[in-house]
Amino acid sequence: MKSWWKDVMAMEFRKILAYRSDFWITFLGQMFIQLLVTISLWHSVFKENNVTSMQGLNLEMLALYYLVANVGMRILWGENIGFISREIYEGTFTRYLLYPISFFQYKTVSYLSYSLFYSLQLFIFYWLYQLFFGTSDLSFTHLYYLILGIGIFLTSSLLFLTLAFMVELISLWADNVWTLMIMLRFFVTFFGGGFIPLNFLPHWAQEILAWTPFPYLINLPVRTILGLSHHTEIIKGIFFILAWTLILATFVKVIWSRGQKRYTGVGI
Amino acid sequence: MIEIKNLSKSFKSHKKEPGLKGSLKAVFHREEITKLALKSIDLSINKGEMIGLIGANGAGKTTLVKILAGIVHPTSGSATVLGHIPWERPNEYRRQMSLIMGQKNQVWWDLPALDSFLLLKEIYQIPKNQYQKNIDFLADTLMIKDQLKTQVRKLSLGERMKIELMAALLHNPQVIFLDEPTIGLDLSAQKAVRHFLLEYQKEFSPITILTSHYMEDIKELCPRVAIMKEGEIVFDGPLAEVQRMLGDEKVISVTTDVTTFKIHIPRENLASETQHLFQKHNVVDLNIQDPPIEEIIESLMKGGAP
Repeated sequence: MKSWWKDVMAMEFRKILAYRSDFWITFLGQMFIQLLVTISLWHSVFKENNVTSMQGLNLEMLALYYLVANVGMRILWGENIGFISREIYEGTFTRYLLYPISFFQYKTVSYLSYSLFYSLQLFIFYWLYQLFFGTSDLSFTHLYYLILGIGIFLTSSLLFLTLAFMVELISLWADNVWTLMIMLRFFVTFFGGGFIPLNFLPHWAQEILAWTPFPYLINLPVRTILGLSHHTEIIKGIFFILAWTLILATFVKVIWSRGQKRYTGVGI
Repeated sequence: MIEIKNLSKSFKSHKKEPGLKGSLKAVFHREEITKLALKSIDLSINKGEMIGLIGANGAGKTTLVKILAGIVHPTSGSATVLGHIPWERPNEYRRQMSLIMGQKNQVWWDLPALDSFLLLKEIYQIPKNQYQKNIDFLADTLMIKDQLKTQVRKLSLGERMKIELMAALLHNPQVIFLDEPTIGLDLSAQKAVRHFLLEYQKEFSPITILTSHYMEDIKELCPRVAIMKEGEIVFDGPLAEVQRMLGDEKVISVTTDVTTFKIHIPRENLASETQHLFQKHNVVDLNIQDPPIEEIIESLMKGGAP
């Protein structure tokens, strides 16, 4: 670990805490709204179909799936959209070209700081959940699965970061990549199991998706936290995460080597 | 040492017709235009020199500085700074160089300056003693000690500029690029920044390239100037020579009982013209001076190479 890594992390934590009301409002607000929407929506679906479970998940488990997925996605998203493209647009990106350190290392450490911080939210969520529902018969996770799941979320954050690098660096050609980042998040959420658990999709679709990076970004860590994944599935998932990260990192390298020649340092 | 040979840079951009029709048309087709920002620049700067780059907006000053700082790649030509090719950005070069842009923030907006400095200490691997010594020297000379613990976004423009200067000089760079460091500052802040830069130059003797639109900056700080016009250097030499170049002329400021005016006259006609003025007008006050440096440079920029 390089000495400046911990300083970058400490600085990013200070930046998050500089706006601590935003931290709590977003976290708690998002959690309760999500809970409300999910329960009412799936309650109607269950009632309409006159069933008590779908694909092996009852209403409570589905609600739990969405809550964990939702909090977990914050770990995945890390910094806000535009964490590179906005700086390129504004010209503040220049600072990373001046510092005698790797720009990618800096951004990765900075991004992971956010992911680590949001992991804390998942622990808080776990604690709140145990406090209110811990004595009920809802089959929420063991702490071991929670830690394992957060570990997978942090690993898959690196994969998402590599995807984000690819899209964000396009701003060296096109000024505004906001829409592309929104699309990326939509695809990741949809094909990753953020909108509906992936086992609700047809079998053939699940088989195709298994070869893409998407299911390992949300579905795998959420299922791990809920204790629904067995160890073979987890090991296979981690292998895919690392393999896809390496493949995409090669593309990022090419984009960067060409794109940096186009940087003009102009901005607001 | 900085050596620049045949350095050129062109930028591509797009042209869009004004109005809604133009915007709709641009969605399908945009006309590409190429602007030559630098045209075969040659320049050599020695260790410890402070050179002023001056020119109108769009003359290519900032582009040249950005290339030398390694953030922009040139289209052709070569340049070495302290033996390094800047745009290859070796860490060894980046540790010895600094770029300060008057219109850009490089310290973190949401944090107090000291937080940013602590990170820079680690990034530049500044030893603890050296770090504290530099913080003390810079904060004292810039008179900014009390603002170091305040969120940067809450500081005034002048204070922010001082913080930027501190951040950029914390690692004792051997080469400093200053791109309009006094832009937007009030007169007293401009004076303070100039005083600081002079002190810093005396103390550490770095190679410094300064671009500025304020002639006071150039006059007070730069013994040597390079004047740029449309991507070319049209003059490179001592500041005193600029004045000597048009030294054949004098400026007479005249105040009569009804008006005030200035006239430029050849030196050899000085006596006869002055006599003529006294005969023709009821002169209350008369002042004979060399042409101001601003006017000389302006005429050089308009007229091209002398």
